[in-house]
Amino acid sequence: MKTEHEIVLETKDLNFYYGKKLAVKNITMQFPKNMVIALIGPSGCGKTTLLRCFNRMHDLYKGTKYEGEVLFNNENILSKETDATQLREQIGMVFQKPTPFPMSISENIAYGLSLKGIKNKTEQKDRIEKALKEAALWDEVHDRLDKNANGLSGGQQQRLVIARALAVEPSVILFDEPTSALDPISTSKIEELISELKSTVSIIIVTHNMQQAARISDKTAFLYLGELIEYNITDKIFTTPDNELTERYVTGRFG
Amino acid sequence: MKNKKRNQKNTSNAVFKFLTFFASSLTIVIIISMIISLFYQSIPAIQKFGFVDFIFTREWSFNKDIYGAFRPLAGTILTSIGALLLAIPIALGIAIFITEICPAFLRNIISSAIELLAAIPSIIYGMWGLFTLAPLIEGTVQKAVSSTIGLLPVIGPMFQSEYAGGVSIFTASIVLSIMVVPFIAAIARDTFTQTPDILKESAYGLGATKWEVVRYIVLPYSKTGVQSGIIIAAGRALGETMAIAYVIGNRHGPLNSIFDPYTTITSVLANEFNEAVGTQLSTLFLLAFILFIANFITLAIAKIYSRRGLSNEL
Repeated sequence: MKTEHEIVLETKDLNFYYGKKLAVKNITMQFPKNMVIALIGPSGCGKTTLLRCFNRMHDLYKGTKYEGEVLFNNENILSKETDATQLREQIGMVFQKPTPFPMSISENIAYGLSLKGIKNKTEQKDRIEKALKEAALWDEVHDRLDKNANGLSGGQQQRLVIARALAVEPSVILFDEPTSALDPISTSKIEELISELKSTVSIIIVTHNMQQAARISDKTAFLYLGELIEYNITDKIFTTPDNELTERYVTGRFG
Repeated sequence: MKNKKRNQKNTSNAVFKFLTFFASSLTIVIIISMIISLFYQSIPAIQKFGFVDFIFTREWSFNKDIYGAFRPLAGTILTSIGALLLAIPIALGIAIFITEICPAFLRNIISSAIELLAAIPSIIYGMWGLFTLAPLIEGTVQKAVSSTIGLLPVIGPMFQSEYAGGVSIFTASIVLSIMVVPFIAAIARDTFTQTPDILKESAYGLGATKWEVVRYIVLPYSKTGVQSGIIIAAGRALGETMAIAYVIGNRHGPLNSIFDPYTTITSVLANEFNEAVGTQLSTLFLLAFILFIANFITLAIAKIYSRRGLSNEL
């Protein structure tokens, strides 16, 4: 259906090892631009591991190994020449738990901007406001930007983290179960936000919550034991999946 | 029968409670009795010189029987500050290297070496400082500095010394810094490793380099821990005796240069206590009392700091 969509990220025969354990097996898939792609599957299926290949987060730990290719802007980001630091400016990440830095609300966002080389105070100020508005947090925090970010509620902290990721204007944001630590109201705010954001960034989201995947994603990939079992339009995955395993998982019969 | 058993249980419980209470209160009793006895022995000196005057008197003369705390106190404070200035960057560097950079096999070796550094008896530092480090410093650092910076107008004399042997406030600060590095490094290492991985990953995820993560995430996150480590090290530096007594030079004269020998409270105590009588003995008790209070204050600051840090994080 959406074959005319531009591809932002693409994996080719991607394998990933923790030591000798193969955690992601031979995955080839394409991520269209300006869409929300959900990765679902039972715990330990490799969905988070796969997500963390896209910004080479695994590089931080010893004994990890990639094989195959991950193409971003037609470049293999797994190659030695790719500067992981620069890559991560273009592919942002939001984690399971809100991770505000131990500084004020505005400094949290300014931090990412400074890393990118944007140090002009006026420009920073504009960008902070823009990012907070995009993350639907501005109205709640505009009068206490210089207060410690730890004073925000969990949901606000997570939106701050999203604002921080948005401020550096990445083309992709990776979400690793972003609402698993949040209450239902905060969760629905984040979900709403993710749906709005796809007009500006491409989104890949790992989630345990199948309703969430069904609600917000355009395409869904089902992974099991490190393998990509099925990848299709979200509606199809949740109504008439081709694979029996997928059907059993989305109908809650295992997982 | 059952009742008897219960009674036995209650008795042993009471005994146990009493023993733990006794042990804990004993520490308080010992501290208080120390303060009282130090103060009691100091009374003649306080009566003779007055507490405030005593602190600001520079003289230290057996002939006139006049003693002032100014020089030993200044020596103690200066060597401690010097030691901390040298030790803090080195210790933080070590802690950063161990936690963030160093390969696993080296980590244990370096950690053990640092723990060993803390376990060396201080008299050994003193001997090594006097016989090896002091001549070495005199022949290298001191020589180089006094023939360059030492020739500058105004500040030059602060880097010149007429005393030979290399024992000086500078050498004492270096020896002291080596002694306190393990304390700061160990506490810094422990607090650095407590920085949540997910927080560091978030910074890396924004495109931070290792240095940027350390500078802006790990260090701020560990600020309180590192600060209390520094204050504990300061307490240790203030009270260090044997090593300092060897390398400070024990000279009750005006301090004109960082390469001049000088004196500290602890070195005065170590050197003069054996032969002191009368006013001099009481004076030494008063110096000890002052040191005790200084240490007490640093410890109190450390406690307040770490408590305030905790309430900030919540």
